[in-house]
Amino acid sequence: MSTVELALRVLIVDDEPPARNRLRDLLHDCSEQLALEVVGEAGNGQEALDKLMETPVDVVLLDIRMPQMGGIELAQHLNKLPKPVLNRVEEPALNLSKWPPAIIFTTAYDAYAIKAFELHAIDYLLKPIRLGRLFDALTRARAAVPVQTEVLRDLLPEPRKFLSIHERGKIHLVPIEQVLFLRAELKYITVRTAEREYLLEESLTALEKEFATRFVRVHRSCLVAKETIEGFEKGGEDNAESAGWMVKLKGLDEPLPISRRQQHIVKEFS
Amino acid sequence: MNKARSIKQNTLPDALPNFRNLGVTLRILLIGNGLALLLALLQANSWADVPLRMMQIATLLTPILLAGLLLLWALQPWLNRLAYWRGVLAVNVLAAVLTLSIYYFGGELYRPPGSADAWFDALRYLLFSVLVCAILLMYFRWRSQVLSRALHEARLQVLRARIRPHFLFNTINAVLGIVRTQPRQAEAALQDMADLFRMAMSDAQDLVPLRQEIELSKQYIALEQLRMGERLRVDWQIQDMPDDAVIPPLLLQPLLENAVYHGIEPLPQGGSITVALHRSGDELRLRVENPRASNGAAPHAGNKMALQNIRERLALLFDVEARYKVESGKDFYRVEITLPYMKEKTT
Repeated sequence: MSTVELALRVLIVDDEPPARNRLRDLLHDCSEQLALEVVGEAGNGQEALDKLMETPVDVVLLDIRMPQMGGIELAQHLNKLPKPVLNRVEEPALNLSKWPPAIIFTTAYDAYAIKAFELHAIDYLLKPIRLGRLFDALTRARAAVPVQTEVLRDLLPEPRKFLSIHERGKIHLVPIEQVLFLRAELKYITVRTAEREYLLEESLTALEKEFATRFVRVHRSCLVAKETIEGFEKGGEDNAESAGWMVKLKGLDEPLPISRRQQHIVKEFS
Repeated sequence: MNKARSIKQNTLPDALPNFRNLGVTLRILLIGNGLALLLALLQANSWADVPLRMMQIATLLTPILLAGLLLLWALQPWLNRLAYWRGVLAVNVLAAVLTLSIYYFGGELYRPPGSADAWFDALRYLLFSVLVCAILLMYFRWRSQVLSRALHEARLQVLRARIRPHFLFNTINAVLGIVRTQPRQAEAALQDMADLFRMAMSDAQDLVPLRQEIELSKQYIALEQLRMGERLRVDWQIQDMPDDAVIPPLLLQPLLENAVYHGIEPLPQGGSITVALHRSGDELRLRVENPRASNGAAPHAGNKMALQNIRERLALLFDVEARYKVESGKDFYRVEITLPYMKEKTT
């Protein structure tokens, strides 16, 4: 048969230059027996996300502990994002990569994560990385199934640092501390920062659970950031739904209604 | 046989307390007077009688205590050279002689005319002073044993931290990463690593030259810089550091490790750790300061233990003469340690 074996496109993500060096050396050794190509390197999750949006990648070698955005949070975002349209690639045949790309985690040691990896059959490499293990992982990578979001949440019990928002083929990473409130609206969640609004496709209940320390529910459809609460005022209508209390947030002109059921937060926060 | 002994010997040898330390002096005064108060309580007939009895005891006790402390202060270098049990004997004899002579020269103050048997009194005081002296020495011995346990623990902790997988495996991985392109740097890194392990596994020492601790800390930083490159910078403000000073071992290095792990690593742009060391009169001042991410997590339990251990060792070793201060701001973390300036023994 004449199917041309396409080279495996690999992205290296690690914050330590010698660790990236090491992977490059080993990948070079692998390339004698396995068609592969290092298409890029990144020093943290954010940089990696940028790279992934502009280059087709088959496999990501992903360090777990990195500043700003670690490996597990990056994997979470990748799962939530739709496949980017890479108009830069001239030849559509080359743009065959699966989405999200296969992920192989690399870690020095983290008893907890390793146990979870084994439990969910996620591929990982222990540092110092061995050539043989890397080779095996790469050959398996094409067939790999993407890691499920719930599993990733198990791996990283702490909340994400960013919300990833997909907007007209671009990715916005909104730092969670900039978010004033989250409001469920029909199909989407409105994410409000001091500057503007974004639309997010997640469930409010899951967000409430993940960011419980940061946000408090004021209404059936609304979570507000605790530290931006400026005060409360009587205003809105008094009916079965609402007791007439409104919450005022820093950096936001219009107050938000508080439901009768959540009225107790007026006492707790004032 | 020899090997087994060297492992067991990982504790400090018994030694007399440093009689020139303010803390030791205060403790002697406090315990001496405390015992006197107890005695007064025992002798008294009523509450009102207690101060009177106390006064009576103090007229004899205070001159003995003060003269004793003065003598011990003066004899400290000589006592230091004696073997422990000879030292104990010497201190006891000193107390006995002092008690007898003060009793004798005190004349009528202690022997009101027509009072009871002078021999009996002399013997009784003698016995009592030797007893108090022995209690004090036992107390100090107990303290120093607690200290040696803390020191032992520090070593274990550092060893555990060295073997902490995060550090060990990342460093080995980093060395492997440069071994093909920069073999010389890789060699140096392995040597630094060996030195760090050696220090952590060496026998317990009371004090080490400050230079040595600085050297060790620099090796540690070099290893971390291998991994983190430009992101980790250290501003060594040590040009005014006294060259002959000694400090407890592994005092600076764990502080730096703390600063790297919690301060610099989570910052994408990295940052600069400041290490400032200078002498101020009789004191040595050490300051370690690092930036930290404003949303940084609290130090994890292991590091709190390391800091706790440093504090404990300082308290046991220098008592009130050492101070430890932590300042934790929104975007910085600062540890300041003040300890007595001690010179290296030139032998």
